[in-house]
Amino acid sequence: MGRQRPLLRLAALIGATILLPILVRPVVAAEIWIFAVAAMALNLIFGYTGMLSFGQATFFGVAAYTAGLMMIHWKAGLLVCLLAGIVVGALTAAVIGYFCIQRLGIYFIMLTFCFNQMFFFVAYKWTSVTGGDDGLPGIPRPPLALGPLSIPLNTSLRYYVFVAVVFLVLFYAMKRIVESPLGLIFQSIRENPSRAAAVGYDVKRFKWIAFTIAGAFTGLAGVLYSMMFGIVPLEVISWVTSGDIVFMVLIGGIGHLYGPLIGAAAFKWLSEAVSVLWERWPLILGVALVLVVLFLRGGLVEALARLRLALARRRLAAGAGAESA
Amino acid sequence: MNVALLAGAVLNGLVTGMIYALIGIGLSLILGLLNIPNFAHGVLYALGAYVLFSAAVGPVGFWGGLLLALVAVAALGGAIEYLAVRRLYRVHPDYILLLTFGLSLIMTEAIILVWGPVGITFQPPVLLAGGVDLGVTFYPKYRLAVMVVAAAVVLACWLFIEKTKYGAIIRAGIEDRDMVSVLGINVRRVFTVTFAAGAGLAGLGGAFMVPVRGLIPTMGIDILPFAFVVVVLGGLGSLPGAILGGLLVGVVQSLMTAIWAPGADFSVFALMALGLLARPQGLLGQR
Amino acid sequence: MTGNGLLRTDGLTCDFGGLRAVDSVSLSVERGAVHSLIGPNAAGKTTLFNLLSGEFPPTAGRVYFEGRDVTGLPSHRIPHLGIARCFQRNNLFPKLSVLENVWVARFSRSRPGPLGFLKRVADFGAIRDRAREIINDVGLEAKAGAPAETLSHGQQRALEVAIALAGEPAFLLLDEPTQGLAPEATERMTQLIQGLARRYTILLIEHKMHVVMSISDRISVMHFGRIIAEGQPDEIRRNADVQRAYLGVRR
Repeated sequence: MGRQRPLLRLAALIGATILLPILVRPVVAAEIWIFAVAAMALNLIFGYTGMLSFGQATFFGVAAYTAGLMMIHWKAGLLVCLLAGIVVGALTAAVIGYFCIQRLGIYFIMLTFCFNQMFFFVAYKWTSVTGGDDGLPGIPRPPLALGPLSIPLNTSLRYYVFVAVVFLVLFYAMKRIVESPLGLIFQSIRENPSRAAAVGYDVKRFKWIAFTIAGAFTGLAGVLYSMMFGIVPLEVISWVTSGDIVFMVLIGGIGHLYGPLIGAAAFKWLSEAVSVLWERWPLILGVALVLVVLFLRGGLVEALARLRLALARRRLAAGAGAESA
Repeated sequence: MNVALLAGAVLNGLVTGMIYALIGIGLSLILGLLNIPNFAHGVLYALGAYVLFSAAVGPVGFWGGLLLALVAVAALGGAIEYLAVRRLYRVHPDYILLLTFGLSLIMTEAIILVWGPVGITFQPPVLLAGGVDLGVTFYPKYRLAVMVVAAAVVLACWLFIEKTKYGAIIRAGIEDRDMVSVLGINVRRVFTVTFAAGAGLAGLGGAFMVPVRGLIPTMGIDILPFAFVVVVLGGLGSLPGAILGGLLVGVVQSLMTAIWAPGADFSVFALMALGLLARPQGLLGQR
Repeated sequence: MTGNGLLRTDGLTCDFGGLRAVDSVSLSVERGAVHSLIGPNAAGKTTLFNLLSGEFPPTAGRVYFEGRDVTGLPSHRIPHLGIARCFQRNNLFPKLSVLENVWVARFSRSRPGPLGFLKRVADFGAIRDRAREIINDVGLEAKAGAPAETLSHGQQRALEVAIALAGEPAFLLLDEPTQGLAPEATERMTQLIQGLARRYTILLIEHKMHVVMSISDRISVMHFGRIIAEGQPDEIRRNADVQRAYLGVRR
């Protein structure tokens, strides 16, 4: 494949980040990129490594709460919080991952789900720290301190720009990971774990590495989310959010680099639009999921590819028809 | 803490434990035979509860409602397997999981649409109202009845799986799915029946619990992780494991509620983590 | 039992519940030799391979490689000793391309250091070149970019061998490389193995007798999990026990 397609896509992505706050409210746009990061992380372990985690909200939420508490009690700076999110996300994933990866397939999925619930109950009951059902309020949005410069991020648009820049950096990082030997090793584990071992890879260790990296990315996304509304709601750590992240990856297209971005955008935009019209939005979500699983497993990426193919065929037939006429 | 409180907690634990065992048996069978964690299992439990409620306040009555809950949810389970799950066997099992997850969303919302979002309390039928003096404590008649009846159902399931020919087929299928089809048995029908039976048991469990815990649309979502813990603790595909796991989870949760309520739910997951560290294949699991 | 066998087993046994699949096998493969393992179906040959390549540990007995005791090492450590395995049934990475299949096996044995993971796959010129070399050696140059699952059976067998070679082993475990191949392809594979025999020590499981007889330095015959005969091809051809074991087995 030439160098053109990837560069074109990258340019399109940057264009999208510039255009998005015009198409939707900056707040929604920021949420899209934040969840795109979480979806990318899940795509790394699910699409590339073949491990379906149903508990990514664990890392999203733990990091969000941690950052929130740091900002409230220690007046921590922006970059420190981002760093904390990465560290906390990675550490939590490292510990939980150690348990979960011992077992394969369905066990793994169930364990990620159960650990998610465990942390959820801690957040739910430990109201003195997390605020429980009411959430953790009063989170300031610290300014971006770069040496002598201090840029306040007090408007939605400014915060959006910050989130978009962080997203692009993270996207690039994910791209590099996926294009590195690690990416190919992860894929080989997905394709044939026993052969991957037979050629010399410690499969469990690499799965653990993938899981931990995903935790780091997801944690960072959680920190960005904590500063969005000034409050960390309980939902950040609930299995519903875990499910949403799975959705986004599935709807976008598993195993493609850009899939989770499309999925996050589609999901967030749809949920915004539909939930305004009908409270029972999860019903539509469920129906969409069932339909995608039954009929369109490649997600939107596959749908787009099929569309392109169908259009190409029609053009070909029309051309042939014109010639034979 | 006094003895009466402790005794009450243990009894409560046994009651919920039996229900967990019912749910766990179904989930474990579906997991063992079809290789899928049924994310819709919690909602099937909830549907059983709501069907009972509608039946009980209508002409069918409580007792008929119990039977109706079992049959209706079992039928729904069979339909789900036949119409949807079946198409995905050749594809990766992850997709079946996602399908059941999507169905759980649909059904939870459907419950809210039909019965409203508000919680409902429900009194036990007159025959089982009131309490019984057990010496050490006074305990509700209905809960005792649930404990006994649920135990009987669990026992019946165990006997069926261990002692009957059809049960042997299911056990064989859990051990080696391909082998069973080679033996000329209609594997697809076994799958449908197993899924239906598992669903029915969950629905029955939900129905039993209505006078104990009441109803709320999120009850399916709330109970699902505990069902998973039961199966993980007991060992995948092991029926005795699901029973043991169910009782263990029920008693631990109940005792913790009496000792330190905020930690009750967390302690169940801590138990799971400890169990996995000590014995990764579950208490009675083989793999 | 000593000797300078590159690979040596001592009383290797494997029980599956009540079934003894490998029964006290003591085998020695000389450095540089092509040593074939033959026997009727279900004689335990592939199980023996599984023990040697670390798929599961033996119930009893020991394995020595280059004089060191390597019994019970897990399968991901075995390639790093210098042992590579090719499987009886195609055991590839289906959606990865032929090149990626071989690349990934080669990378595992290179020593990139932690900084290597910061580079792109495309930047590893040396590994890619070596992978292409191996792909050419097995005759798959035309298919380098194709996903492994799109290859014909014969091409997949060739890829199996290529993946094993990518590990730069000293010792090759080849499990029925000609399995399912038509006569032409079998001939090509046989020539390939003969070429490999000059550079590697090979333990080969094969059913096609003409292949075995033409390239083996030494043959061990397995039946019901135990070695019933061992020697040079001519000796084995004349051995009465072997003939009896094979009664009813065509090919």
